Amino acid sequence: MPEIFIDDQRFEFEGNPKVLQFVLDQGLELPFFCYHPSLSIPANCRQCFVEAGTPVFNRETNSYELDENGDRVIRWFPKLMTSCSLEATDGMVIKTHRSSEKVARGQKDTLEFILINHPLDCPICDQAGECPLQIQTYKYGPEGSRFEHKKVHKPKRVQLGPNVVLDAERCINCTRCVRFTDEISKSKQLSIVSRGDKNYPLTAPGTEFDDPYSLNTVDICPVGALTSTDFRFKARVWEMNQTPGIDMTGSKGTNIDLWVRNNLVMRITPRYNPDVNDHWMPDEARKDYRRINENRISRPSIKLDGEQVKTSWNNAMLTFNEETGKVKPSEILVIGSPHASVEDNYVLSKFFNRLGVSDVHFANDIEKGRGDDFLITDDRAPNANGCRFLGFTEHDPAALGKAVSASGVKMVVILGDDLIGRGAFPAEAVQGKFTVFMGTNNCDTSNAANLVVPITCSAEHAASYINEAGRIQRTIPAKETVYTSRRLNLEMSLGRLDHFATKFDNWESDDNKVDCIPAWEFLIRLVQETGGDLTYTSSREIMDEIASAIDTFSGVSFERMDDEYGIPLKKENQPQGKTV
Amino acid sequence: MQDWRTYEPLLIPSIKDLHKIDVYEKNGGYQQLKKVLSDKEQTPEAVTNTVKNANLRGRGGAGFNAGLKWSFMPKPDGGPRYIAANGDESEPGTFKDRMIFEYNPHLFIEGALIAAYAMSIDAVYVYIRGEYRSWITMMQKAIDDAYAKGYIGKGIMGSKMNCEMYVHMGAGAYICGEESSLMESLEGKRGYPRVKPPFPAQKGLWGRPTTINNIETLANVPLIIKNGSEWFTSIGAKGHPGPVLYGISGHVNRPGVYEYPSGMLITELINDVCGGVRGGKKIKAVIPGGSSTPPLRGDSLDGVRMDADSLRDAGSMMGTAGMVILDEDTDMVDLVWRISHFYHHESCGQCTPCRDGTGWLEKTLLKIKNGEGEIRDLELLLDICFQMEGRTICALADAAAWPVRYSVARFRDEFEARCKKSIYAVA
Ligand SMILES: Cc1cc2nc3c(=O)[nH]c(=O)nc-3n(C[C@H](O)[C@H](O)[C@H](O)COP(=O)(O)O)c2cc1C
Ligand code: SF4
Ligand code: SF4
Ligand code: FES
Repeated sequence: MPEIFIDDQRFEFEGNPKVLQFVLDQGLELPFFCYHPSLSIPANCRQCFVEAGTPVFNRETNSYELDENGDRVIRWFPKLMTSCSLEATDGMVIKTHRSSEKVARGQKDTLEFILINHPLDCPICDQAGECPLQIQTYKYGPEGSRFEHKKVHKPKRVQLGPNVVLDAERCINCTRCVRFTDEISKSKQLSIVSRGDKNYPLTAPGTEFDDPYSLNTVDICPVGALTSTDFRFKARVWEMNQTPGIDMTGSKGTNIDLWVRNNLVMRITPRYNPDVNDHWMPDEARKDYRRINENRISRPSIKLDGEQVKTSWNNAMLTFNEETGKVKPSEILVIGSPHASVEDNYVLSKFFNRLGVSDVHFANDIEKGRGDDFLITDDRAPNANGCRFLGFTEHDPAALGKAVSASGVKMVVILGDDLIGRGAFPAEAVQGKFTVFMGTNNCDTSNAANLVVPITCSAEHAASYINEAGRIQRTIPAKETVYTSRRLNLEMSLGRLDHFATKFDNWESDDNKVDCIPAWEFLIRLVQETGGDLTYTSSREIMDEIASAIDTFSGVSFERMDDEYGIPLKKENQPQGKTV
Repeated sequence: MQDWRTYEPLLIPSIKDLHKIDVYEKNGGYQQLKKVLSDKEQTPEAVTNTVKNANLRGRGGAGFNAGLKWSFMPKPDGGPRYIAANGDESEPGTFKDRMIFEYNPHLFIEGALIAAYAMSIDAVYVYIRGEYRSWITMMQKAIDDAYAKGYIGKGIMGSKMNCEMYVHMGAGAYICGEESSLMESLEGKRGYPRVKPPFPAQKGLWGRPTTINNIETLANVPLIIKNGSEWFTSIGAKGHPGPVLYGISGHVNRPGVYEYPSGMLITELINDVCGGVRGGKKIKAVIPGGSSTPPLRGDSLDGVRMDADSLRDAGSMMGTAGMVILDEDTDMVDLVWRISHFYHHESCGQCTPCRDGTGWLEKTLLKIKNGEGEIRDLELLLDICFQMEGRTICALADAAAWPVRYSVARFRDEFEARCKKSIYAVA
């Protein structure tokens, strides 16, 4: 296998990797700005310099030429090479800043150049704390500045489009944003304008940056030149906990990170998954944090004289058991949800099977024409396939509306799906039927329900979702509820403050905690109330049971999902969901 | 070597109305194209070899052997192949290609077509700087006439050769003269130089094999085909032969474009060709080949000839042979600042060292020019140059650094005199 020597250490490689990517893949560090693994390579920032040489091959002896010490004679490239664009060749010798003064000087020099016209306004810059320029300057930059002149001034606070703001003075001209719109979103809305040190990215005159994926440029901008209209100035990076999650606004299963401060999700950013969304996500999906933070159902409520009245969990359970005792199993219509997790849906179905209800229904949530051929889908729900794979009966919303209205139905149980709000049926359809709504947010359906049970949302529980391609992926709790604690729940991510804060840092707070529990937990509590046999203590346990009980899910576990970017469920195992 | 005094111009001979196609034809025009098309011996490889052996070195600045460059083109695979003829001519001090556009456009067209034949080219793009409005019109007229006579287009001169030729007007960016940004510009993109490899011969215009040659380079080709490579190598300097259009400007009595053999003594060009320095002054400096080439001191010109080897030994470069003669009254700080201003203005801004280094150079030079500089600023200038040279995608950063580096080195006393006095002795 071809070999390459990096700072005298030998590595083997396959194919034609570029030196920078190869070095990074070995877990070694090299500073860089313009390179992005999913974009073309412009080699313009000149930060990734290395020294490179190739061994001298003697055709006649068919071997490498050796010096008097028996070492290979190396022909060095005379100039510093940009490792991002340099292709590895067999026997290549690379020196990084770790072994070459010349490289260290080259990297320092480039940073000095970048910084002379940079505003250095880190204290008021959103990027501070996650800024490659800031980090690399600390590590590789010059000690001070020798620049004694006026910096170049460029436009600031330019609203490029609805979601993105430009500060052209911070821009280091890496062209990542331009390449993103050229190569990934293909809107070609950005271009560098002007010349030399006056350069900055802009849209064409009279147009705006309304690319549905525009905020990805904010993520990949290596400085604070592009910021999010929505997020800017809201939170500092180091105050937030970053927790992996799954997007809930479509069926793509886009991997995301939830950034939480004080139990509020401050922003959502894409998380790398080579098999699903690469490094990207749509702008719309980022706004989903509002659903998590705002208008949440907290504490159960019961409808009394047409008004929702808060009640205790005990009373809620009592009411539920009472009402199910009043009707025959055949009179209960159980509606699962493509918006809820596999675990919640599974336990719902299992719970009602115990009571003798054999069918669980769900309504798909399709908006024809919404999707594109990238990450936005017609399907607005993250887990329709979860319902299908559990064998639920699929309906169009209208068809489900008919089933609800049927006179034989005396009780309707709805899991996390605002069916009335999305027009499956009008509120009158459930009048006179005892309606239970287990949901996360106040909505038309919760208003119409007789009993409202607040349940955790995707940001508060560990649970799985199956995307349109049949890939099962899971969330991790990102924010606390009244009943969970970041430091006690091993599933929850710990941020800098959790690890290092003193009590004076004032990082712990009971604000913004919702009084809710996972839907499955509510259901098994009902069972335990009546001395039953459903005894899960975690969603992990539920998934283990699903994996052993249902063929499609065999081999699935939280650990594997975590390790393997989610698991594609085997096509041949996938049951055809019943469609009505 | 032939005495330059008896040299008869070949690229711009003094024939009246030679730019008109019938006059050009009457003077043997398009006969070399006919020769390569009809003579069985003149295979594309043979033509390429002739040009290679003639050691025709590129007149666009880098001085690379044209025939050798042609030989890098891969074998035709049926897909399109291009020549981009570089008439961007934006380097300060350079104004010689426009003589060809004006006085002998068909010589260039014929040369480009012979090159097209040698490399199986489908289209030639003639890229002319946008400011050359009238020369663009002249060139377009010449191409239209050549089309009308069947020298360009389908079945050229009754042969099987097809080749189109288009004039493309630049939009005022010096950087678009750099060959790879020239291609980007032709493709309708922003003039950002490309990272090499891949080289234009592998992936040029629209990803297809492309050769870029300067206008003057291509204009030499019919002469080589007519008289042979040995004849060509016998003209002028051994290592850098052939006729050269010397564009001489600055403080001489008769500035202008003069055609002479390569390897002319700089002193001869100044004193005999251009009638000496204006007002009989002394020469302070000579920029031999466009603003990017290091200035030579006026007292170091003895025996220096205008060819790659002699100029290298003297500490400069041939560049475009656009010579700027500067007399003793020249303010070197002012001059270098002005050159720096140009490169600052023209950097495409892609690479960090060039984007920010060119501005830093200019600002520092301005400070010195205004009498506010300090001796340490001179070291800083040299440091900035060091940090720019050889670290960028194209050679503009070097072109910006060299005049500064060599002026500070060669005229240091002048720079120091402009700096604030240090109260301590400066080592
Ligand atoms: C910044 C820059 C500007 C250039 N401008 C020109 C130009 O205006 N005209 C030109 O012929 N070559 C120019 N060149 C050189 C071209 O890149 C290229 O080497 C040349 O056109 C090749 O032709 P030749 O081999 O016939 O000289 C420039 C190079 C650089 C780096
Ligand atoms: S705005 Fe950001 S991503 Fe775009 S070119 Fe500037 S630094 Fe790069
Ligand atoms: S060296 Fe300067 S002009 Fe050339 S590509 Fe880089 S920034 Fe542009
Ligand atoms: S990362 Fe290599 S030049 Fe920018």
